[in-house]
Amino acid sequence: MLLDENPLTVNNQVVYAEGVPFSSFGMATSTWTRRHILSLADFTPSEYNTVLQTAVSFQEVLSRRTKKVPTLQGLVVTNLFFESSTRTRSSFELAAKRLSADILNFAPGTSSLTKGETILDTAKTYLAMGTDMMVIRHKEAGVPQAIAAEMDRLDVKVGVLNAGDGQHEHPSQALLDLFTICTLLDPERPQLSLLEGKKIAIVGDVLHSRVARSNIWSLTASGAEVHLAGPPTLLPKWFREFAKGKELGVRLPRASADGSQESEDREGRGDGEDWGEIQNSKFGSVFGELTRAADSPEAKIPFGSTQASQSVSRRGEQNSPTSQSSIPYPPLVRKLFLHWHLEPALKDADYVMTLRLQKERMTSHLLPSLREYHQLFGITRDRLNLCQPNVKVLHPGPVNRGVEISSDLMDDPQFSLISQQVTSGVAVRMALLYLMGVSRGL
Amino acid sequence: MQELLQQVRILDPASQTDRVGDVSIEDGVIAQIADAIADIPSDATVIEGYGLVLAPGLVDVYSHSGEPGFEERETLYSLRLAAAAGGFTRVAVLPTTHPPIDNPASVHWFFDRQKAGFGASAQPSGGRLRPEAQPEGRQEAEGRSDKGGKGDKGDRGAVSFSSSLSSSSPLSPLPSLFPWAALTTNTQGQQMTELAELALTGAVGFTDGQPIPNLLLVRRMLEYLHPLGKPVMLWACDRELVGNGVMREGPDSMVFGLPGIPAIAETTALAALLECVEETGTPVHFMRLSTARGVELIRSAKARGLPVTASTTWMHLLLNTQALSSYDPSLRLLAPLGSPADQQALVAAVQQGVIDAIAVDHAPFTYEDKTVALAESPPGAIGLELALPLLWQALVETNQWSALDLWSALSSRPACCLQQSPAVIKAGESAEMLLFDPQQMWIADARSLRSLSANTPWFGQSIQGRVAKIWC
Repeated sequence: MLLDENPLTVNNQVVYAEGVPFSSFGMATSTWTRRHILSLADFTPSEYNTVLQTAVSFQEVLSRRTKKVPTLQGLVVTNLFFESSTRTRSSFELAAKRLSADILNFAPGTSSLTKGETILDTAKTYLAMGTDMMVIRHKEAGVPQAIAAEMDRLDVKVGVLNAGDGQHEHPSQALLDLFTICTLLDPERPQLSLLEGKKIAIVGDVLHSRVARSNIWSLTASGAEVHLAGPPTLLPKWFREFAKGKELGVRLPRASADGSQESEDREGRGDGEDWGEIQNSKFGSVFGELTRAADSPEAKIPFGSTQASQSVSRRGEQNSPTSQSSIPYPPLVRKLFLHWHLEPALKDADYVMTLRLQKERMTSHLLPSLREYHQLFGITRDRLNLCQPNVKVLHPGPVNRGVEISSDLMDDPQFSLISQQVTSGVAVRMALLYLMGVSRGL
Repeated sequence: MQELLQQVRILDPASQTDRVGDVSIEDGVIAQIADAIADIPSDATVIEGYGLVLAPGLVDVYSHSGEPGFEERETLYSLRLAAAAGGFTRVAVLPTTHPPIDNPASVHWFFDRQKAGFGASAQPSGGRLRPEAQPEGRQEAEGRSDKGGKGDKGDRGAVSFSSSLSSSSPLSPLPSLFPWAALTTNTQGQQMTELAELALTGAVGFTDGQPIPNLLLVRRMLEYLHPLGKPVMLWACDRELVGNGVMREGPDSMVFGLPGIPAIAETTALAALLECVEETGTPVHFMRLSTARGVELIRSAKARGLPVTASTTWMHLLLNTQALSSYDPSLRLLAPLGSPADQQALVAAVQQGVIDAIAVDHAPFTYEDKTVALAESPPGAIGLELALPLLWQALVETNQWSALDLWSALSSRPACCLQQSPAVIKAGESAEMLLFDPQQMWIADARSLRSLSANTPWFGQSIQGRVAKIWC
């Protein structure tokens, strides 16, 4: 909607002579108000679907002869990678370039970070250069949140995207995983509901994995069963309660459509806190074998109040080409299970996600050896026989061949989605940068 | 010089008093307490006390100073200003400075520095020192027992001097700081300090303010300390189990992706130390209790008659792991915030007296120190100016605790943990007390806070309740 009204986008359409008009980039994008993408814990189904649909449009762009669109022309995207990374940074860099943004890269090796400069100083330096969006990675949790809060406090409308913070979250990775799986099921209209009833195993070092945490939120939001598997040292009992109190609800639209939400944004509480209430009910996760009835979610989760449902559908209808997004979403119990053995997690699984195992886990008494880990939790061809016949395997990379997954399996296109994940990454990250642009009134 | 407080709410945990009345103070001594005092001298300062609370000055069992070593975080002077603003009349200061207070010369320096007040300026704070606060070796033993305004001659004299100074100065009187002396050299946990000599210097007691992993050393020190009769304070914490953890391990640490500190890091160490106490019979104060299980261990130790006391910190009573969702580095504390169940257990245990004292554990750090990722920030938060109003709002205004419950845990029982006589509100006693306005609103910002540091999750927020005045 914003795009249609903006004269600049009329010009933009000329550039797309080859393809679809710009306005078809996504349906509900005009309702995208999330300035920062820091965590998936409070993402709503309609937000997931908006990301998926937008990414489809950009994937189409990436299949053209000219793979570049002027969407973010004139905007500056800064990669603030306090923790070094090549793969994710390259993916974001390419995504920003495809959107015609100018891109700055901050590399810790060459910076003054070691001497006195705080993380906020660094962020403000790039802000002063005119940065519009920051893509942030840090080896400790919470840094993107801190910078987002500071940007909101300064009232500068800079969007922050969490590209991995410590062991906390890595939203863009989880969204590209979601996109990879959903496009496999329906290349034209990937959407969250396609995963309903599917069984997805996440195997390995869940404790230290930001990818796993983001994936738990997105995959459980779809109505899929998520089964975590790993040794107790890498999958602590506490994960039973991971999703407790985090039922997925209907996001209530804020106040009214009279601009009050704008001003609320400016107040700058920022990182998702100023989202409308999530309708919660009592219990979150359904626990697997480790749980004895205790927390049984027998308490029936009520559907969202009619008021909430109505307002959502009203919003959804605005310019949604899909009928799907106008259906109200009932609050949904996240289905999360824990396994300290691999077999029950793999049994009849539709998808298996393996996680990278850091070699240094051995020094902190978490594992006896990589060899034993592979024996117990390594994904091999034999073990995939437990799964559904057409099971697919994902890995966020980089892979320790022969540890998390056997080497030949990783290269087998019948099972492995690893290269599709990397390809999807660019389209999904383009979608995220674009949506953040929408939220700031592109 | 006479002051008259009219119709003020008088709280006195020692006598379990909670009543409204008039109080007159003459030359730093409480002259009269009555329902109404009729004859008012013409030169008396009259304070309308309606809605205000008059109660004994607060006692903090442990807080950190920046000075010596990190004066940009806090000086001894700014620490006293902050303490005064928060209603504390006595603060025991941990030896965790650079260099640490681990030898008699450092203790003497500490008292000299306190006497000098703020640098070399004319600030006449020296007069406010109590006799026992002077590094006079043997006199200390006698002086210490006077602490808290028992009202004997010597003490009264000092107070009156201080009082007259403060009334002629726009500054409020400054509280007394008492140094804890280190148990081990450099607080490294390797070698015991010269404990007997330190005991004569006026140090309030012994602690490292950090864990001592070597149980042989702990056992020997407890044995050696037994005849000295000074307070000994230990932090039950197993560093190996803490590892690289920064918050209490549990469901929240999993969601927030922050490395966890298991509750057993406290409880295993506590169990071992309690065995040492049982073996040696030396009284020990356990600081920074933060787990429900730790509370149970203390409860059963006390039931067995072990000579132990314990404290938690004010932030552990107000917050739990869920607060960490903000990733505010000021929420990284030495003992991590507990789970909601831990928090509840601690609140109940303090009210019941199983945990004797609420400590502030004021730990100042500069903006540069703390403007980093939570896991990379040094642990600790300031609190001297915030503890009373926030605890009052959270516990007393909500009727969870009586006002006397709170005052016992902030004033009389902490004094007992330090082997000091608690201040009391009683005619004839020296006035060591504060006037608190539970309603006054203020903003905790750089302008209002007297601490040199601002590392608190409440920074910039509106606070209800403020100390109007202290006497000490």
